[in-house]
Amino acid sequence: MADTYLIEPDLDFIKEVGALGGEDLKKCYQCATCSVACAISPDTKPFPRKEMIAASWGLKDRLVGNSDIWLCHNCGDCSTRCPREAKPGDVLAAVREYAISAYARPKALARALRDPKKLPILVAIPVVLFLVIGTITGLLDFTPDLSEGIKHYKFFSTWLVDMHMVAAAIFMIAVFAMGLKRFLGDIHQNALQEGKTDKEKIEVVGFFVALLKVIPTILKHNKFSDCTENKEREIAHMLTIFGFIGLFIVTSIVFVFIWGSYLLPSGPIHGPWSMWNPIKWLANASGIALIGGTVWLIINRRSKKDQKSGYWDWYLIYLAFGLGVSGMGTELTRIAGWAFICYLLYFIHLVFVFCMIAYLPFSKLAHLVYRTVAMAYNEYAGRNF
Amino acid sequence: MDKKYGVYICEGCGIGEALDIEKLCDVPKEDSFPVKTCPILCSQEGVELLKKDIADEGVNTLVLAACSRRVLYDVFRFDGCIVDRVNLREQVIWSHPRSTYPAPTEEQKDDEEFIDHVQMMAEDYLKMGMARVQRVDLPEPYKLETFNRKILVIGGGITGISAAIEAAKTGYEVTIVEKESALGGQAKKWRKQLPGAYPYDSLILPTVEDKIEELQNYSTITVMTETVVARIAGEPGDFTVTFKKPGEKTEFDVPYPLPDEMKVDENGKELDAEALHAKFMEYNKGKQDILTFDPNGEKFGAVILAAGWRPYEPKEGEFAHLGFGEIADVVTNYQVEGIAAGGKITRPSDGKEAKSVVFIQSPGQADDKDFAYSGAVTSLVALKQAKYVREDYSDGKAYVFYQHMRTVGLTENFYKNIQQDQGIFLTKGAVTSVSKNGDGLIVEAEHTLLGEKIQVKADLVVLATGMVPVTKDDPVVNLAYRQGPGFRDNEIFDEYADSNFICFPYETQRTGIYAAGSIRRSMTVEESIEDATGAALKAIQCLESVNRGVSVHPRSGDMTIPDFFFQRCTQCKRCTEECPFGAIDDDEKGTPKPNPARCRRCGTCMGCCPERIINFVDYSIDSVASMIKAIGVPSEDDYDEPPLRILGLVCENDAYPALDIVGLNRLTYSAQVRFVPVRCLGSVNVVWIKDAMAKGLDGVFLLGCKHGDDYQCHFVKGSELADIRVKKIGDALASLALEEERVAQFQVAIDEYDKIPQIIDDFVASIEEMGPNPFKGF
Repeated sequence: MADTYLIEPDLDFIKEVGALGGEDLKKCYQCATCSVACAISPDTKPFPRKEMIAASWGLKDRLVGNSDIWLCHNCGDCSTRCPREAKPGDVLAAVREYAISAYARPKALARALRDPKKLPILVAIPVVLFLVIGTITGLLDFTPDLSEGIKHYKFFSTWLVDMHMVAAAIFMIAVFAMGLKRFLGDIHQNALQEGKTDKEKIEVVGFFVALLKVIPTILKHNKFSDCTENKEREIAHMLTIFGFIGLFIVTSIVFVFIWGSYLLPSGPIHGPWSMWNPIKWLANASGIALIGGTVWLIINRRSKKDQKSGYWDWYLIYLAFGLGVSGMGTELTRIAGWAFICYLLYFIHLVFVFCMIAYLPFSKLAHLVYRTVAMAYNEYAGRNF
Repeated sequence: MDKKYGVYICEGCGIGEALDIEKLCDVPKEDSFPVKTCPILCSQEGVELLKKDIADEGVNTLVLAACSRRVLYDVFRFDGCIVDRVNLREQVIWSHPRSTYPAPTEEQKDDEEFIDHVQMMAEDYLKMGMARVQRVDLPEPYKLETFNRKILVIGGGITGISAAIEAAKTGYEVTIVEKESALGGQAKKWRKQLPGAYPYDSLILPTVEDKIEELQNYSTITVMTETVVARIAGEPGDFTVTFKKPGEKTEFDVPYPLPDEMKVDENGKELDAEALHAKFMEYNKGKQDILTFDPNGEKFGAVILAAGWRPYEPKEGEFAHLGFGEIADVVTNYQVEGIAAGGKITRPSDGKEAKSVVFIQSPGQADDKDFAYSGAVTSLVALKQAKYVREDYSDGKAYVFYQHMRTVGLTENFYKNIQQDQGIFLTKGAVTSVSKNGDGLIVEAEHTLLGEKIQVKADLVVLATGMVPVTKDDPVVNLAYRQGPGFRDNEIFDEYADSNFICFPYETQRTGIYAAGSIRRSMTVEESIEDATGAALKAIQCLESVNRGVSVHPRSGDMTIPDFFFQRCTQCKRCTEECPFGAIDDDEKGTPKPNPARCRRCGTCMGCCPERIINFVDYSIDSVASMIKAIGVPSEDDYDEPPLRILGLVCENDAYPALDIVGLNRLTYSAQVRFVPVRCLGSVNVVWIKDAMAKGLDGVFLLGCKHGDDYQCHFVKGSELADIRVKKIGDALASLALEEERVAQFQVAIDEYDKIPQIIDDFVASIEEMGPNPFKGF
């Protein structure tokens, strides 16, 4: 702290944060109303005042590797109360977007995720992969047998699905692993520099204990409920996240069941499953939650004119919404017996799933990981968050 | 004039209920003054009554016992008549209600020991009013023999040009003198100018050339370049001005007064007037005395001083910790403006591009003070020059370290706009050092908004040094006045040409000379133009008052002038020296030569004169003394326990209105006090105090404006001089075996009315403790 800090403002960083929705950041005159207004900012070294000056001075190294930008849940209480309309909430959101890109490799993919013009290419990747590999291997059948009704695996083999999805998941985990290693190192360094922790090193056990402690907080959305400006977002976000969790559980069970059934003497058992199966209930409930939650989020964002919503935000929400709608559509058209539409929707659904998984560390959804890690670190570091 | 008196007592506003009007009428009746009462004197019938008496009865000297003279003055103004307003309402019945000072009951009316304070007070004030009108007369205007209405503007910068245009627009002839070879001044030397119109957020191109062009449209404006003022002699409406080339020596160069150490002989004894004058002439060898007028001088009626500013020049080693003088790339804001006006911002050391520039607003170290003579303008200039860096280089960075960022009024919009430039970084902070770092510089600062000690790499460092008024170096106006060529006491304004910053803009301590622009305080071009307009109006007001023989300010319209009874003058020079406005010059014999048009009618000369030979027709040693003598002083012959009588000499400017507000708010104070209004405490002659004490009054206090560096005296020096005189009178009292604490002076501001009752009551209590004046009853 006592050391002299050599300041070298990064003009490109300021410009970029501005372009990402933080264009008002220079209006800040450091009154600290934001830090006072924020219900979840810690008592010691509270954000976002210090983040605002760091951003307006272009001090990239103080922001990208700063766990505090992740403690913010972007409720907008600070932006509403800011006397200069510098919108600290939007600035932190922009810095987070910048940080996600900064930790994700390859860089080209990170850039593509933030550029609407690159969207067709990103979508084309799974489409081409599915078509080419499916055609070569014969795992994609454009004239599936309809004698037993609509069976998705007959059109798009389970092998073909999991070959892609497992690969995408491994890729995602690898990207996150690399990013998180640097991220944790950076936030610890930053915490030491800013005097936010007394812990010299990050101990693995202690950190995991902290992680376990914060998970209920995250699931219960305790931090959301502290906000005043954007309270309606809490339930929408909760529906969405629990929709995802439910679908993740269902998918995992199905995954284990299908591949397990290959060991059965009678051979593998494919879907669709009975509507009376409790797993199916969970799947349907989760699907409805996901669609409902995302629609709600879309409505909220559209009605909130004072908060910035960019391509970065819309990409994720519409992808999640598309995921839910295409999944539900696939099921409904199967029941209705509209084979062509059903298979088409199924294909689209799988494209969405691939996008969701493979691009996760590059998209806004990465906040799932970074925020969780940051909150766990904060718990570990002993700040009263 | 043959006086025909008339006393009129108003019964309105509660006066009739609180006082025994019939008994009050006995006061004028005793002195055979005709008296009339009226239910409401300011009503139509009341005023008609007065008018009728003036017209039919020939009444020309009226004593109106009603409300304060500060209200309804237009209703009770009767031209050609002397009018005295006896303040029964605010000073008597409102501040001494019957609930506190009960009226006598039927039985008490015959009780000789009963003291009806309120009635006594009303009677005293009525007697004082009657005494005064017997001693005063109507003034006649002082007319100059020759009157000139031309305006001289000193300084051809943006302020001078604007003042000339504004005066010319209203039809006055103007001459501008400029010491440089061309008009324009400092405003011509800049790349860009601060915003001057809505929305006040962006820099504009300099506007001074447009103003110079506009000036050409006025044939009534004469421009004299490469010219300075050698001397200005005379008085407003009749100034004789000698011009000369800069640096030239002439016999009409202004003489300087003798330094104090030369005013005594070898034995330390004060020289007499004639010896002093001889010494003065020797000291100013080759120059004519101030009373010798240049026969070739040009005549002017009023002067606008718009001589402007020069950049502050740091003394050697003054900012050593900032590398100034040591490192070539540490420059002042003035120097960097010169670089910017010539092209891109580069480093003086090697001419390389200066892409990272640090602007330092405060020298730091011991306190958070800014550089001398800096202020809002230097804050704005730093923002302006930071913008230059960004204009010149798309990757340029400009840092501003400040202790105070002063962007007043709408310039806040400019600040906001600059703040949003992505390459401009502002922080409060104390710069601790500037040092060399290889090819460039490194600036270190602490207590910044970033929360720690920081370093910044810089190509160029700019110090926000201030704008020094040129009156710091030189009087500029070069007035041929006995008190000296410049303005007095300007050191309390850091040498800015000013007399009282808040209340009276443009006023200097010399009547007829009005200061405008950066000579008054540092100003932007926009502010200077506005200021020039104000000063031009003041100059016009001066001309249009002097031509009618009335005072300009602050006693606007006052027709009286000090009248000297020269036969009894002892040439003590006190009036020449004490006049706050240098209105009096003395000749080689030391006899005062009043310059009535320079006079502001404060009466300081009257207050200081030991021979009491200076008086005004409606305000004189005699008129006040007779008022004091009119105060009834009850003694033990009248009552077993006679009440005290204390005189309050009250400044008309702030203290008297504050007393009115006391009444208006129904605050009460001792009924043993009698007030006499004075033009200024400076006009209080100690003889009044002596008279009061001799008459048996128990104490005297002066109530006036604050003095000292933050003085509020309308006549600059009045309350300060009174303070000195009151302190001196203590010795005289002691010799009479009277406690010196019986005389005191208190300072009040106009808004401190709520403190006045306490001040008065405390003083009365202290006198009560001392006991009555032993001279009472003699």
